[in-house]
Amino acid sequence: MNTTASEEQERLHAGFHAVWANPRGWRALSLVNHTTLGLRFMGTAVVFFLIGGLLAMLVRAQLALPNQRLLDHELYNQAFTMHGTVMMFLFAVPMLEGLAVYLIPKMIGARDLVFPRLTALGYWCYLFGGLILISSLFLGIAPDSGWFMYTPLSSNVYSPGPNSDFWLLGITFIEISALATAVELVVSILRTRTADMSLDRMPLFAWYILGMALMIVVGFPPLILGSILLELERAAGLPFFDVTRGGDPVLWQHLFWLFGHPEVYIIFLPAAGIVSTLIPVFAQRPIVGYRWVVLSIITTSFLSFGLWVHHMFTVGIPHLAQAFFSAASMLVAIPTAIQIFVWLATLWTGRPLFRLPMLWLVGFLVVFVAGGLTGVMLALVPFNWQVHDTHFIVAHMHYVLVGGMFFPMVAGLYYWLPHVSGRMPSERLGRWGFWLTFVGFNLTFLIMHWTGLLGMPRRIYTYGAGLGWDLPNLVSSIGSFVMAIGIAAVLLDIALHFRFGRIAPPNPWNADTLEWATGTPPRMYNFASQPGCATRHPLWDQPELPESIADGKHWLSIFDHGRRETLGTDPVSGKVREIFHLPGNSWLPLLIALGLAVVCISLLARSYAIAALAALASVTIMLRWSWVNGLHPAALADLRTQLGDPPLHTHTFDGPGRWGMGVTLIANASLFLALLFGWFYLWTVAPHWEAPAASPLPWFVLLPAGLLVTIATLWLRRIVASLHRGTAANLQMQFWGVAGLGLAYVAVLVQVLSTAPLSATLTAHDAVITVFLVYLLLHGALASILAALQALRVRRGYVGPHAPYEPGVVGAWWLYTLLTFWLTYICVVLFPVGWGGG
Amino acid sequence: MLSPSHPLQLALGLIVWSAWFVAIYGALSVGCALAPPDAELGARTWLNGLLAALTALTFAWLVRQAVVCLHATRTGTAGSPQRRFMMPLSASLYVVAAVSTLVIGLPVLGLPPCP
Amino acid sequence: MVAPWRGRVGHGFVAVAYILLAACAGPQSTLAPAGPAARIAANLWWGMFIVSAVVLLVIVGLWLYALYRTPCDHDAVTLRRIGQRWIIGGGIILPSVSVAVLLAFGIPLGHRMLPLPLPGDQPLRIDVMAHQWRWEVRYPDHGIVTNDRLVIPAGRAIDFHVGSADVIHSFWVPRLGGKIDALPGRTNVLRLRADQPGEYRGQCAEFCGAEHAHMVFVVEALDAAVFEDWVKTRKP
Repeated sequence: MNTTASEEQERLHAGFHAVWANPRGWRALSLVNHTTLGLRFMGTAVVFFLIGGLLAMLVRAQLALPNQRLLDHELYNQAFTMHGTVMMFLFAVPMLEGLAVYLIPKMIGARDLVFPRLTALGYWCYLFGGLILISSLFLGIAPDSGWFMYTPLSSNVYSPGPNSDFWLLGITFIEISALATAVELVVSILRTRTADMSLDRMPLFAWYILGMALMIVVGFPPLILGSILLELERAAGLPFFDVTRGGDPVLWQHLFWLFGHPEVYIIFLPAAGIVSTLIPVFAQRPIVGYRWVVLSIITTSFLSFGLWVHHMFTVGIPHLAQAFFSAASMLVAIPTAIQIFVWLATLWTGRPLFRLPMLWLVGFLVVFVAGGLTGVMLALVPFNWQVHDTHFIVAHMHYVLVGGMFFPMVAGLYYWLPHVSGRMPSERLGRWGFWLTFVGFNLTFLIMHWTGLLGMPRRIYTYGAGLGWDLPNLVSSIGSFVMAIGIAAVLLDIALHFRFGRIAPPNPWNADTLEWATGTPPRMYNFASQPGCATRHPLWDQPELPESIADGKHWLSIFDHGRRETLGTDPVSGKVREIFHLPGNSWLPLLIALGLAVVCISLLARSYAIAALAALASVTIMLRWSWVNGLHPAALADLRTQLGDPPLHTHTFDGPGRWGMGVTLIANASLFLALLFGWFYLWTVAPHWEAPAASPLPWFVLLPAGLLVTIATLWLRRIVASLHRGTAANLQMQFWGVAGLGLAYVAVLVQVLSTAPLSATLTAHDAVITVFLVYLLLHGALASILAALQALRVRRGYVGPHAPYEPGVVGAWWLYTLLTFWLTYICVVLFPVGWGGG
Repeated sequence: MLSPSHPLQLALGLIVWSAWFVAIYGALSVGCALAPPDAELGARTWLNGLLAALTALTFAWLVRQAVVCLHATRTGTAGSPQRRFMMPLSASLYVVAAVSTLVIGLPVLGLPPCP
Repeated sequence: MVAPWRGRVGHGFVAVAYILLAACAGPQSTLAPAGPAARIAANLWWGMFIVSAVVLLVIVGLWLYALYRTPCDHDAVTLRRIGQRWIIGGGIILPSVSVAVLLAFGIPLGHRMLPLPLPGDQPLRIDVMAHQWRWEVRYPDHGIVTNDRLVIPAGRAIDFHVGSADVIHSFWVPRLGGKIDALPGRTNVLRLRADQPGEYRGQCAEFCGAEHAHMVFVVEALDAAVFEDWVKTRKP
């Protein structure tokens, strides 16, 4: 009996392995598997972390003594700017996203993320963007305006070199990667949980990642917009932030912190997810108050968007407005406190085992709670006015970020190492690493609060003796080197364990979540059959599950059709609805990322012709990507399904693309709303705002465009409705018609843009209107192209009554194009008339 | 009207809270830019009145939603386990949004709007 | 008659207090306040510091105790009740009360720092224009201009009207009070008062480029009469 089971297991393994295995050699550049890409994300992030750490060492060495001459201000300003930038954008977010990419499908019982090519694109964009940014360090022209790049210091007047351009272009590139990964994490968590894993049975880590990913989707676009506007100002002279031409530098601060504060929680949420995963395992009991944790996650995800102005308390905002943000900043402490006491209660009522990851969790608690308490202090406006922009802030944010991200992350690394390598880490070297890091960290940053209270501003490259700052700075510098040794010990421990660690048992910590049923190291397809999930703790309640999964006793245990597939389930109840067939390995992500890298580099070099060509090439490859989808033979060779299995998603009206489009449009809407915010902000608050007496866009010039886009969108909706009824006729002609109307819409916009009396470089008013028009233009152009591609796909038979899925996805983009047009019309054309300024 | 067990109920309360937050911040900024009330009037200005009214309305709506969800939890004949999970969660999220609205809006009663 | 041990303990306290005070001193220390605004902030700091330290110690202590205590066997209902008690007590009541107390104290205190209209004696107006990397100071009532040096009368409220000619700077005299940003195109008003005559060091707090570290200035507070003399000698 046993032999037959294991033969069956081997047969299944061989079959699935053939479908899912990674290519070797140089073809490994085309792989899309989430396990490998998650590890690549994390490995790359660790390298960037080391670079950021070296920069921190330089900063501390320079500040160790008064009047130190190790670095001059030029190098020092680059060092602290790049330290912050690298740690926030190249380490913290990608590291945690990498962990999520690696773990999420395994935890929710899926075989891969829902857009495997997008995972690869996200990785390549991250790698290339990071390399471009880091290269500036070696060229000696790294960004030097601080990691939040306040204008006008970062503008072309006060930073004429390419330093700021590296930041703006490189970071935008990396943010696209973060956004791509976030979109697919959201869709994966909502739609590919295994059978019957309803929302209330979802592992808490997945809730945390869902919160983080949605926050990225809404929080990153304002900074992307800000970066685009600032780069336009620097390169093309459009004066969004130039106060003399009607712009306002404070607008940059709003856009930056609209992203920047949520960013702190974007980093904290997944780390807290690690804590909530590990504590119950080491306490050997389910978490106390699952629902309380979910409540805290959702609350934090929203409230943290209402705090951004607390970074701007000294800008001169009305005290009443400061009071709103002060109260919101303090309120957000409550969900955090709830989580801390949930963890405490779990330990209290459990039987805790003190293993190495627990040690790091205790370190996390001490450091993070201290950082949280100083955070509450900082939310108090009169105290904030004193310590804002001092070393007190530097100390506070390191307590929050290192405590809230680094400590839990190392705990998580130790916890999941056996999963990656199949070996156990050493307890002894690990303890040394912890204590050196912990002591070094507190030595560095505890006393730094004091340095700040003694009046030392942040970001000064040197200070004189006799201000009382000598001793605390020396202590901080010594502490930072102790901490560096500790981190080196941790890295050494991890490196050594791959060679010397003892072989790990299948579920070494006796965990409850499904990732420990994928084998250690994991199989590339995760699960030979996808199990139904009857409880919140599948491996505790059904210890035989790993065996029955490998035996193919559950869903989708057939491989001879050769497709990669995973279950598509209902977002709330987890009932099985479709089979999602997933694309295999592809070169397209690498090619697109290379194209975008060329765009980025040629913009840096100000060779706009090359940039335009490379952008065109990238878009063409993206369209090719969208072409190899659905029923395209390269995407889906074999349509057979088992009796009793749900249909392939291409044959239904719902699938991953529809959800991906929805989430992408949320991100897009966030960018659009940030642009609208900028428009109204400048209109009401900018000191030298000038609206012309006669609007450059009279009410009638845009109306034909509105008519065209409305008719086209309604027509497309009719097509989709007819597909639903199964009565679609003349599909191809109808799509051509929609595409034609779209083209006319674009033509009208081009005509308006070229004839309207807009002087975009002279006033912020005209500059913002130009951006609105270009935004509408690009959306209309893409909408038309997508409609035309649908027509071609109907001709090829990829779309039709038998495969009615794609038009709905394209329809969503059209609807969005329509809505943004009319919103623009109301706010940019009608609002000034009502105001009396048009 | 969304049913009390609809998944969007989890987010709706806090989305409304966000909209309210942007609205009072925006109204305050615009009010102070266009027609700043005299600082000597303290908190007894038209602008404070407007903000307080907005806050009270939002608070009332959120409380009502919380009650609806809570009521559905109490009377709902068992239903599926997800419903038993979602409806109380939605109710508590409405409470969170309502309390946040109240706490953040409270300074409107005591501070002059523009200085 | 004081018991000898009490005397010794008393000396100990004095010594500790002395060391603390010495550690707080410094030409730019926020903990050596010399004006009402700085004093409010320093008092807030000490209050919040003590409470936070207690909260931190208690929470960490509870965690460690929870990790090491001998687990006791309870039925599921009791465990659930214990858990709820921790979450509601520590997660909701503790932070809510702390936040309420802080806001009830903090918002009115912050309000008192604002440049609101004063009854009686009007504040002196001084215009400060920040440049990369110097401070240009103008006394509009007297027609005096200085650089990197502010002379003010002690004991009288001063309204600094702060602006910038180029990038964003921040005007900060830690011993007198909080900072205010110097923004191009805008004027922000900061009210400070020095209680006693003396020299107070100030420094740019917002990163403003190459020489940010050296954008230092001095505020010299003089007796009201001495200040009048200074004005007379400097008047053009």
